[in-house]
Amino acid sequence: MSETSPGAPFAARARGALKDAYLQEALGIATTKFIGLRRESFEDFPQGDALRDRARAIKEATLQQLDRHLERLADNIERLGGRVHWAATGEEARDIILRLCRDKGVRMAVKSKSMATEEIELNEALEHAGVKPVETDLGEYIIQLAHEKPSHIIAPAIHKTKGQVADLFSQELGGHFEADPEVLTKVARVELRQKFLEADMGITGANFAVAETGTVVLVTNEGNGRMVTSLPRIHVAVMGMEKVIPSMTDLMVFLAILARSATGQKLSSYTTLVRGPRQPGEMEGPEEFHLILMDNGRTRQIAGTLREALYCLRCGACLNVCPVYRQIGGHAYGHTYPGPIGILLTAMLKGAPSVKELAHASSLCGACKDVCPVRIDIPRMLVELRERLDTEKIAPWTERLLFGMARRIMMRPSWFRRGASVARLAQKPFVRHGRLRALPLFFGKWTATRDLPAVAEKTFSERWRELRRP
Amino acid sequence: MITCLGDMFFPEVGVAMVRLLRRLGVDVEFPPGQTCCGLPLSNSGYHADARAVAERTVRLFAGAEHVVVPSGSCAWMVKAEYPGLLADDPALHAEARALAARTYELSQFLVEVLKVSGVGSTFSGTLTYHDSCHLLRGLGESRSPRTLLRSLEHGELVELPGSDECCGFGGSFSVRLPEVSTAILDKKLVSVEATGADCLVACDAGCLMQMGGGLFRRGSRVRALHLAQVLAPEGLP
Amino acid sequence: MTTRAAFLDDIRREMAKTRGLFEASTSPRPAAPQEAAEAVRREMLERWPQALERFREEFERVAGVFHRAPSLEAVPALIGEIARERQAKRILSWSPEALGVDLGARLGGEGFVVTSAPDADPPESERARHREEAAAAEIGVTGADWALGETGTLILVSGRGRPRSTSLLPATHVAVFGAPQLLESLEQVGLMLEALHADPSATMSGAVINFITGPSRTADIELTLTRGVHGPKDVHAVFVEGR
Repeated sequence: MSETSPGAPFAARARGALKDAYLQEALGIATTKFIGLRRESFEDFPQGDALRDRARAIKEATLQQLDRHLERLADNIERLGGRVHWAATGEEARDIILRLCRDKGVRMAVKSKSMATEEIELNEALEHAGVKPVETDLGEYIIQLAHEKPSHIIAPAIHKTKGQVADLFSQELGGHFEADPEVLTKVARVELRQKFLEADMGITGANFAVAETGTVVLVTNEGNGRMVTSLPRIHVAVMGMEKVIPSMTDLMVFLAILARSATGQKLSSYTTLVRGPRQPGEMEGPEEFHLILMDNGRTRQIAGTLREALYCLRCGACLNVCPVYRQIGGHAYGHTYPGPIGILLTAMLKGAPSVKELAHASSLCGACKDVCPVRIDIPRMLVELRERLDTEKIAPWTERLLFGMARRIMMRPSWFRRGASVARLAQKPFVRHGRLRALPLFFGKWTATRDLPAVAEKTFSERWRELRRP
Repeated sequence: MITCLGDMFFPEVGVAMVRLLRRLGVDVEFPPGQTCCGLPLSNSGYHADARAVAERTVRLFAGAEHVVVPSGSCAWMVKAEYPGLLADDPALHAEARALAARTYELSQFLVEVLKVSGVGSTFSGTLTYHDSCHLLRGLGESRSPRTLLRSLEHGELVELPGSDECCGFGGSFSVRLPEVSTAILDKKLVSVEATGADCLVACDAGCLMQMGGGLFRRGSRVRALHLAQVLAPEGLP
Repeated sequence: MTTRAAFLDDIRREMAKTRGLFEASTSPRPAAPQEAAEAVRREMLERWPQALERFREEFERVAGVFHRAPSLEAVPALIGEIARERQAKRILSWSPEALGVDLGARLGGEGFVVTSAPDADPPESERARHREEAAAAEIGVTGADWALGETGTLILVSGRGRPRSTSLLPATHVAVFGAPQLLESLEQVGLMLEALHADPSATMSGAVINFITGPSRTADIELTLTRGVHGPKDVHAVFVEGR
């Protein structure tokens, strides 16, 4: 089993990623750039901190009246001629869409970037049902052609070189294309322009849904979000139910900080507010609008330990600063959502056991919490997940045994002292110039790549006697 | 509070700290029977175990006027986590909060309690400083160590690009995912060496173990030292 | 299939188990949105020059091209210039009523093919034809409901005489606006939107509001910025004086 295959354990996939020289370079450049853009953007924005506090409060307050807001949203959408569907599971959401496709004779659907549709693996289901899904976000289009999954929440093809993209396009589209982003972008523009005009259905996610007005909000840069919601005759939006926000006034708070957090832009190129199907008198626009409100594990967290993770705006800022993500990239995580928030979202969608390794894929440095626009305390929830894995005995018994021993030693100073003496003896054959360079067994995990200081000839406690008298 | 890593691996740091504090007129005591603050247990999710250790530690330091810790992560554990761990027992909770209020990481103690911005030490060479995650983000402290380092005669402080980026230690993380930990470390050390500094300074034993261990393995001429050793050079090995 | 009632019951059941993480409230909303909007308009009667300066700065920062026209009558000539610069012939436009000027009448004789959106409810055949024209057009000319100084953003509400594709399909988008459209902050935009939605049947005939901040862009390939992915490659803003 190759280290990078999806079935391999996380540690193996991580190792595989570390050995991928191009990935390492791409990740370094991309994440460093995003970090810089975000930082500059907020340095220039003194209201930023206060707005983040407000955004967080709006998210919490919304959860406290979630049912009311969802009802208002649904009533408004229906009043405007749209339809609302309620999907308890991802499977249901898929079925609703497949049924719509069948009933409406949909043969091709163009998609705007949507993590919610990735989460429910919609594309495979559509293809299986004979409906052709076409990703139109450039990054998503690239990985669709490559039969891969996105490796970053907002820059899905960050792991690909322009050479790889050129080869991919040449192979899949027929032709010979230069490894030049301008050229390749133009190729995609022409290819996809046709698809927009011919598609029967447009499928999007939703960054927000404004309850007070029945508006679904899409934040994009390319224009595909606008195409997909204006040209095909049916528009379907799939949205996690936690994305609802109360009012237009609230929306401005989020718009002020979302693009800055994701890419350092004040606003993305396009923010599109969609209220249902086209109105009478409009030249263009879908005849039908469907909003699918999805639970898929979210409701259970309203009173759960991962409640705060429901605030997530899917901006990707935490990925960019995470020392682990920056080294291994998105695919190694092995689930739809990577990075720090991805670990929590995976636990939310698939249960705590699904993250028994990932919960430890963090040094708990806290950089994620620092940059999160809604100040989600990711480290705290990672530790809570770890606790669940321990108390529910999902963590391996060997580990639990070791930590049990550690606790006993910490509770008994005599054992602690004895432990130091034993270590001093045991290390003797390995000490070189006061350091340990190669230790056997478990300790080899450290010394394979780093020196370890030797246990001191005299611990501080042992030296205290001579230090006592000043 | 000497900390487990300090006691076993870096006693010279503790010695330097004691000498430094005495030089500044502080009466230093060392409650015997110290082991560990329990952070490794807590970070891996063994909360019941961490709670037991927290209770023990709170009692151990009950009589201390101030508790000074040469490690940002351990100081953070006491200040930020102990009260929550002991929330189930009102009396212990109150004691934990009181202990939290009088516990300080070394540089914080020097600058905020003793109100010194320099200790009159000399150090030849350039230094660069790494912001440990718990000290920086947990305790909000990035100025005091720099204030003290800048006060050194003949020493020159050079900023480390990405000083706020994790060194990759993360406690058990360093051995659970050693290759990832090392990749993060290598990136850090490239930055460190690029500064041209003679000495890398940090205020956390874990970070120093990780970065020092990496520097030695690379055969680097850069020395990894604790702030206390730089401020009280007689503590240098 | 899950019903609305069942879905919401599940949520209510979970909500009942917790008071939440901390006391929090949503944003205070204007009690009288129309009056609040009117107050913004009055304020901007004074402050529009500052907003315009800011708009220009931010618009150019996102690669927008800024123009000034002394009057609406001067606008068609300017559009003609922009088209000639690009060797473009096919112009798509909002209806004369929505735009305030009849581009077809003014530029039709100069070798340009101008398609203006109809003002009345279009029949299906006309929709299809308009779509073809839109796809073939090289320049799209619209008005703007608002121009936001804080971010250099043009805000366009769709509707009768104002098709969405005019600012989307052609490679060049030109938006024409005047002082009354200028706003300074996102906060003001929020107020205007509250007012707009408080009585939408009176003011909105379309289902979409687009905030446009510069041309279409992506950095999905090696983080190299390219423009004109699916939407326009360049965006022009024409400020018409004396409106």
